[in-house]
Amino acid sequence: MSTIALRRYPPWKVPLRRYLDLLKILVVRNLKVRYRGSTLGVYWSLLNPVLMTLVYTGVLSSIFARYYNGVVVNYMLAVFCGMVVINFFSTSTTTALPSIVGNGILLNKIALPMSVFPLSAIVASIFQLAVGAFPILVLMTLIFSKNPLNVLFLFGPMLGLILFSIGVAFFVSMAYVYFRDVPYLYELVIFVMWVTSPVFYPLASMPRHLQLILRWNPLTSIIESLRQIVLSGAMPDLRLIAQSLLAGGVVAFVGWALFRQYRDDFMDLL
Amino acid sequence: MTEATQLGDGRAGALPDDLDVELTHVSLVRRSRAERGYDLKRSIFSLMRGDSQRVTEREVICDVSLRLRRGEKLGLIGPNGSGKSTILKLICGILRPTKGNIAVNRSIVALIELGAGFDLELSVMDNIIMYGVLLGYDRQAMIDKSEAIIDFAELDDYRDAPVKTLSSGMAARLGFAIATDVEPEILLLDEVLAVGDEHFRRKCKARLDGYWGKDHTVVVVSHDLTFVREQCHSAICLHEGRIVFQGSAAETVDFYLWAVRESERLTKLGIAH
Repeated sequence: MSTIALRRYPPWKVPLRRYLDLLKILVVRNLKVRYRGSTLGVYWSLLNPVLMTLVYTGVLSSIFARYYNGVVVNYMLAVFCGMVVINFFSTSTTTALPSIVGNGILLNKIALPMSVFPLSAIVASIFQLAVGAFPILVLMTLIFSKNPLNVLFLFGPMLGLILFSIGVAFFVSMAYVYFRDVPYLYELVIFVMWVTSPVFYPLASMPRHLQLILRWNPLTSIIESLRQIVLSGAMPDLRLIAQSLLAGGVVAFVGWALFRQYRDDFMDLL
Repeated sequence: MTEATQLGDGRAGALPDDLDVELTHVSLVRRSRAERGYDLKRSIFSLMRGDSQRVTEREVICDVSLRLRRGEKLGLIGPNGSGKSTILKLICGILRPTKGNIAVNRSIVALIELGAGFDLELSVMDNIIMYGVLLGYDRQAMIDKSEAIIDFAELDDYRDAPVKTLSSGMAARLGFAIATDVEPEILLLDEVLAVGDEHFRRKCKARLDGYWGKDHTVVVVSHDLTFVREQCHSAICLHEGRIVFQGSAAETVDFYLWAVRESERLTKLGIAH
């Protein structure tokens, strides 16, 4: 009998092994619930950005293709990069948002670390990314740059994206504990993030002063960096990578710090 | 001495080996807000109008101290809302004390409202593994045990069915089977004997009798006073978060019954508190 594993830990002082066990089981649950009864399984998550890319290309390539030397395929691939980023961000954070409130009953029955719930939503999305869109990005990078080193640099903007999403996930899942109308508001926030990041337009197509504002959206530098690495065929732009990592790191840190500060209050509101 | 798990401000040192649980001057303040406090839009409007957020603070546990010796069976009795379940939640770490210190020596499992907390969409089998890992068993151990658990819960026909297709009694059976399959050294029971049909209740009692051996420490919250009187060594009567009586199980049950009769008599006379 493995009573060792049964050792009681207060939820705010859980050893790493137990935390990883919990994370794993919750990620599996997350994925199982998302793909129950679908034959495409995890590849559903790839279908969405692909279809959206086709739609945008069909509708908008006549306007924006000139920024890509008039090559429609290049515009399409640029949209795909943007779509992967925004799709990861919106899916992971909207599943993380209700994760604490939704598990309120469970948290009232079993002593569990709070942070594992929003984090499991992010990790489930990372898994989807790793088996779905990421291999495609790797392939595109190899074709355009013919340099395996560029593939390594892909992890830069991706890590920035993950960190940014983690920070936002902590924040929104916490906000939902306090305010139950946050989901409606967050839909709007997602929409704003969508149109203020260069998902379906190149940043260069915007007027100069607008570009400066759009740069405040952390997703902007992440998308720009990803496109630069995947599509330009040039050496990775380290400044863009650093920008995305910095933005992601700051948001992750602030989100975690706030979550840590207030998590003891959550139980009274669940 | 073994290293005890410390909760609260951590002033107390390690527990001696013959003590399993120690609460020293534990108080818990819980905050609740009026319904509108849960709404961001209205919160912002009321903030602009200058109304303050209504946060009410209530001390649900006041200065409770208790010690559980190894192998002790303790009953917690008292009216609804007197803090019985809250004390279990404090002991197993679901709630963190506002003041005071809690130390726990050995492995612990709390059974609070069995069955709640399952993922209704997932199959019985998946839920067994998930619930077990959440409780603190490791994954492989749960896979190994799943057959025995299904067997005990008598849900062999339902192993691949989603939990939402089970009746509430079946879900409670499943919860009981999972949590008691590996014997925790300290077991906290919250009204778990009130679930299931007569056949399963007997089965539960038989399994729990195993815990009534020498080495298991058990805390029972129950309104079944006969059960407390017959099965527990000692008992505590709570009222509005305070310990109002502490003694042998029989004495405490007698006190509680006397207190209930007395308060009914006073109510009839119109001089209740």
